Amino acid sequence: MAPAKAFDGDIHKAKGFGCVACHGGDANAAGMEAMDRAKGFIGVPKRQQIPQVCGRCHADAAFMKRYNPSLRVDQVAEYESSVHGSRLRQLGDPKVATCASCHPAHNIRPPSDPKSSVYPLHVADTCGRCHGDAKYMAGYKIPTDQVAKYKTSVHWKAMTDKGDLSAPTCNDCHGNHGAVPPGVSFVGNVCGQCHSLTADLFKKSVHAKVFAEMGNPGCATCHENHGIQPPGDFMLGLGDKAVCSTCHGADDKGGKTATEMRALIDSLSGETQKANAILLQANHAGMEVSQAQFDLNGAKDALVKARTAVHSYTVAPVKQEVEVGLAISSKAYARGIRAMQDLRFRRVWLTIFLVVVLALAAGLVMKIRQVDRRPTSGSPPKH
Amino acid sequence: MAEHVLEPDSSRRGFVNWFLGLSGVAFFLSTVYPLSRYLVPPRVAESTAGTVTLPIKPDDVKANSGEIFKFGSRPAILVRTPAGDLRAFSAICTHLNCTVQYRTDLTQIWCACHNGHYDLNGKNVEGPPPRPLDAYVVNVRGNQIVVSKSA
Repeated sequence: MAPAKAFDGDIHKAKGFGCVACHGGDANAAGMEAMDRAKGFIGVPKRQQIPQVCGRCHADAAFMKRYNPSLRVDQVAEYESSVHGSRLRQLGDPKVATCASCHPAHNIRPPSDPKSSVYPLHVADTCGRCHGDAKYMAGYKIPTDQVAKYKTSVHWKAMTDKGDLSAPTCNDCHGNHGAVPPGVSFVGNVCGQCHSLTADLFKKSVHAKVFAEMGNPGCATCHENHGIQPPGDFMLGLGDKAVCSTCHGADDKGGKTATEMRALIDSLSGETQKANAILLQANHAGMEVSQAQFDLNGAKDALVKARTAVHSYTVAPVKQEVEVGLAISSKAYARGIRAMQDLRFRRVWLTIFLVVVLALAAGLVMKIRQVDRRPTSGSPPKH
Repeated sequence: MAEHVLEPDSSRRGFVNWFLGLSGVAFFLSTVYPLSRYLVPPRVAESTAGTVTLPIKPDDVKANSGEIFKFGSRPAILVRTPAGDLRAFSAICTHLNCTVQYRTDLTQIWCACHNGHYDLNGKNVEGPPPRPLDAYVVNVRGNQIVVSKSA
């Protein structure tokens, strides 16, 4: 598409800017004389020039306030701090991303526009245009499967299946204008933007220090980075799929702690399911157990909290939550049992009642037949 | 003469037998059908209660406070905003289904499981919850608070 045609959807055109705003020259002159270098015409900006061309306005707080007072004006400074910016500045790398790589020139739309290249759903593909292209990235010696892995992750599913546009995409962990790898010691901080409680527990745990010493990337050690899958109890303990078993064995302290935590979680999970099942059975049979079902939510909460407490990597906080949950689920189960006993009691008495009613009906029929067989009183006497 | 008397009696008896048989079948069916439905109940979905009258009086809910109540078998939360409005939402966190609670200090609805925050419109504003809490309609009728799933 010709640049002028694509420009119709550009935010700059909507705000009243024309070609001269970026390319320079004389807006009042018609024809070729408009492109007079003496009047500031720069033509197509060179890659190295692009941040400065955009920054003329976007780094000028007073100017930007006239159009969008809430828009940040540190994009160029951030870009300078990024891997992209530093390679451009220091090495003149002709392949690194600049402003126009992510915000395509002549068709720049705000991130809130679903057609924008930086709309949350499109960010991964925008980054992936370079980072998913093994040929393009050949000289950089970094993986090119990030986007493919990200698209298997729980975060991508939250964004696409559940429509949660706040779910993290590339820029939420790496920064956008200041894009860099998060850095080993900062991974917990990145994840902690959303998973703050879990990150706090992790930071205070023995693993935070040990992982940093070992060079393990915090949360990503167990949960991966780009291909983060939904977590489950299978990850805890020393089973086949358990992540603890990567470092711990059955005989060391960490292995024993992991096994104990898993047993606690399994016990609460099992008891909660058992209580839930009997309450559902009673409910389906028409018994009123809604209060018990309501109360059982407390056990389900405790289970979620216990799973979070696992990130303290000590048994006590997990046990504390599990005990709360077990007390609730055991009461709920007892109420389910009582409801089922009540149901059985009602059924037995219903059966007895029916037997009596049917016996009465049968007796009545027999009596009527007996009456029928008797000679009628009006019959003439036999001689 | 005797045969002349027996004829209408036999016809009456036939009618009584027919009536008795029909009543017996009707009695049997009307007993067995509900009984079978009782013994083998249909699988029912979760409570579809659309409206609930709360056991709380409007004056008992102070400004900047919240209270959990039972909506069917599920938890819901009634909130009185600092400005005095009554609002109600599902109290099931949209992250992992924990029960949320009101935080007076934050003037927010909060989930203790993973530190999820919602504003007083039920909108998820911090932490992992992916979407807002389901909002209910609150009506005050005299001295009663009635909460409905929709208007």
